[in-house]
Amino acid sequence: MKVRESREELILRVRFLSAALIVFMVLVLLGFWRVQIASGELYRGLSENNRLRRQPVESLRGLILDREGRVLVENVASYNLLMHRERTKDLEKSLRFAAEVLSRQSEELQSALGRGRSPRGFGAILLAENLSLAEVAKFGVAGFEHPEFEIQIHHLRLYRHGPQTAHVLGYLAEVTGRELTGGGAYQAGDQVGRLGVEQTFDERLRGRDGEQVVVVDSRGRLVKEFHEQPPKEGEHLELTLDLELQQEASELLRDRVGSVVALDPRNGEILALVSSPSYDPNIFSRRLQEDEWLELLEAPHDPLQNRAIQNTYSPGSLFKVVMAVAGLSEGVVSPQDRVWCGGSAKFYNRRFRCWKRSGHGWTDLRGALKGSCDVYFYNLGQRLGIERIARFARALGLGSKTSIDLAGENPGLVPDLEWASHSRGNPWYPGETISVAIGQGPLLTTPLQVAKLFAMVANRGQIVVPHLDRGARVPTRQQAALDPQILERVSEALWAVVNETKGTGRRARVEGLDIAGKTGTVQVVAQNNWVDSRTLPPEQRDHAWFASFAPVESPELVVVVFVEHGGKGSTAAAPIARALYEKYFDHKLKRHSAG
Amino acid sequence: MRNTSTTSSSVIALADAQPALRYLTGVDWALLVSAVALAIVGLATVHSASAELAMDYLPRQGVWFGLGLLCLVAAASIDYHDLLDHSLLIYALALAGLLLVFFVGHEAGGAQSRLGFGSFSLQPSEFAKLASAILLSRYLGDIKQPFLDLKGIATASFIVLVPVSLVVLEPDLGSAAMFMPILVGMLLVAGVRGRTIAAAVVTALVLAGAVWTFGMKDYQRQRVVTFLSPESDPLGAGYQVRQSKIAVGSGGLVGQGYMQGTQSQLRFLPARHTDFVFAVLAEEWGFLGVVAVYGLYATFLLCAARIALRARNRAGILLVCGLVALLAFHILYNTAMVVGLVPITGIPLPFLSYGGSFTLMCFTATGLILGVDLRRYVNR
Repeated sequence: MKVRESREELILRVRFLSAALIVFMVLVLLGFWRVQIASGELYRGLSENNRLRRQPVESLRGLILDREGRVLVENVASYNLLMHRERTKDLEKSLRFAAEVLSRQSEELQSALGRGRSPRGFGAILLAENLSLAEVAKFGVAGFEHPEFEIQIHHLRLYRHGPQTAHVLGYLAEVTGRELTGGGAYQAGDQVGRLGVEQTFDERLRGRDGEQVVVVDSRGRLVKEFHEQPPKEGEHLELTLDLELQQEASELLRDRVGSVVALDPRNGEILALVSSPSYDPNIFSRRLQEDEWLELLEAPHDPLQNRAIQNTYSPGSLFKVVMAVAGLSEGVVSPQDRVWCGGSAKFYNRRFRCWKRSGHGWTDLRGALKGSCDVYFYNLGQRLGIERIARFARALGLGSKTSIDLAGENPGLVPDLEWASHSRGNPWYPGETISVAIGQGPLLTTPLQVAKLFAMVANRGQIVVPHLDRGARVPTRQQAALDPQILERVSEALWAVVNETKGTGRRARVEGLDIAGKTGTVQVVAQNNWVDSRTLPPEQRDHAWFASFAPVESPELVVVVFVEHGGKGSTAAAPIARALYEKYFDHKLKRHSAG
Repeated sequence: MRNTSTTSSSVIALADAQPALRYLTGVDWALLVSAVALAIVGLATVHSASAELAMDYLPRQGVWFGLGLLCLVAAASIDYHDLLDHSLLIYALALAGLLLVFFVGHEAGGAQSRLGFGSFSLQPSEFAKLASAILLSRYLGDIKQPFLDLKGIATASFIVLVPVSLVVLEPDLGSAAMFMPILVGMLLVAGVRGRTIAAAVVTALVLAGAVWTFGMKDYQRQRVVTFLSPESDPLGAGYQVRQSKIAVGSGGLVGQGYMQGTQSQLRFLPARHTDFVFAVLAEEWGFLGVVAVYGLYATFLLCAARIALRARNRAGILLVCGLVALLAFHILYNTAMVVGLVPITGIPLPFLSYGGSFTLMCFTATGLILGVDLRRYVNR
């Protein structure tokens, strides 16, 4: 009986424990209900997050070509090493492995990791750039042991001709915080064009990145593609530039400070645009090292500066072309009027010297241009007055931007009475007009403006818009308020500068080619007497100008050369122009005879 | 069979007339069918979970399933009274098996816990659990008092402590811990006073504190910390909980479809054919699948409890209760772990998880339970 009693108690306990079991099972089921039903959407999202990875598909930036279709900039594949921190099991071991493959110090990679840069769209940190193919292969082989590493293919800009085309093309750099907040179409980590046509035509060149959504497994390996929006490739950009002429100009300016502009006066197409010293834009393609950047900033003569459009200089005697046009147009002088040059003349109680100490004697307009007689133009300046001079300077393109398709252009300065009283705050002194008459004084021009001026003289007064984009729509055959016959007469005088004895531009003469040109020599430091600038220290020597076009009857090419502290225009600048004419027309003749 | 019950029925009369049919009529079919159904669900899920692995575990688990059925029939065929009579010998053999692994065992997962036969290997600790349950039911069955005294509790604890110590030394703490549900379940059924339970709880807390401070390795402490706040380390130790919950949660109501669960097919889920097999099921079949499988488990456990209720004697009740406690604990803990309710430990899910010894143990335990039921009218 005792046995049965104890069995009854056991049965009670079993019933109780069974009830407890049911309660526990219901509790666990409630746990499943909470996770699967109440938070099902949340976990479904997390699951998608786990397996779906979005990554941008880089669009290829458009190539940049010269007028003959020669490639100036191309894209080359480069391999970056990325690290997914969350997939790392043993960080030190991973870094040791990477350091060994790359033959670098672990600490170096550690600090790269610390910087925590990550390319757009990749949830990983950039450890190293520009891996060799052998290194890429080693990381590929170790993919199973080291799933934390990823190789990203990234395209870099290769500027084939480096410094020779630097100022025209510009370079690429990472978008800045300000540009990002500026509401543009940029995203963090984007490369955008800086300077040159890379900047001007950034939108056309860049295209639009695509996006790829892929299914990955727990090791981050691609299982299949889920969805892809293909990238829109950037447009190619054909420039008006003639690579051979550009290279020649670049070579001619090597070791000098200055710039060369060559353009076609018929349509404003720029064939060469060189600023010296230059820099290698390829250093920006690899991520720029701080010391390289500092070196560039501290280099003498500021290589980043595009002297052809950003720097302004006194035009010196080149301005006599404007004076001649103004004098004839206003009827202040006739071609036959003559002025006595005895080496200097007195205006407003001050003696103004001619560059030629012995003087030019009796000189008419043609002779004054040919021999660059200062005294003649002092007289002309006095007769014209600053207002009329300024009007013609502006009509010929000075004092305002040329609208070239490059950023950072300087408008230069054409002074007049209003400028003096409003901007300068000092009244205009009549003596200043005398200085302006030979291109000195407050007058400032860029080499590109001078090229535009000479192009307008060359095409007998048609407006020219210098440009680099071959597809640009620019006005042609639009006549400025200038008399073509007067420009014809001035052109003939400019021909004499180069081709007749006693012309100051004789050193630019090319046999069989009718070049018209004008030299300019700009005093950097005011001198009280006739001083040969070659005896001065380099930074006080004169600037040398030579501006020209050819052939004089139906001009095809304008060449402007400017050499900072180069000395006389006739000796420092004119020979460079001659070399460029030879290059251009020799080439053209050969092509012509071959065709 | 020597003494038939005095409270006879028509079934017994039929059974007496035709002894061969006796087993069939006495079998608790609901229990057997639910176990086999769970095992089939297990085979399908293991296949899905390992389809992306180098080896599909389906054929192997099929073999274990077949061997398990044989063990079930064998365990059900033997009169448990005979097992109780030889419980000390069985216990001694189990201990010998546990000792053997120290000399000829294989290592797996950091513990030397397996005995190998060709490419198959067995874990003696699983059979030591059954042997301990048998010896415990023999010992506790003989105590004919409403409550156990301290000596009884101490002796019962000692019976379990010997194999537990050996398993701890392997060291396989997870497996060692699974002896506790057997002991606790059987002690509770055999009768423990409230004040003794209170004292045991206090002792356990003190012991837990001591173990935390002196007895645990850092990674084990980390697991507990991770359980308490899994978001503290989502990439390290919290990874498994997080991935398991994502798998379960993304199943929603109806699941992503068989073989379509991305968490398991893309290998985000760890140990998906063993400890986390239920997460695969939950992802692919959703809450409805979970409820269905839970229904099978409830059927199985409640049928087993019913067998305990109608068992002939104390020892039978206790044996069934010990086995049910073991299986129930596995089921509750594993599923609660998968859904993130309890810390992660290597506790497999009966009938569903891949694993040889564990599958055999589950089927043998089922066979023992059925055996107790078949002999409910045998008085001895």
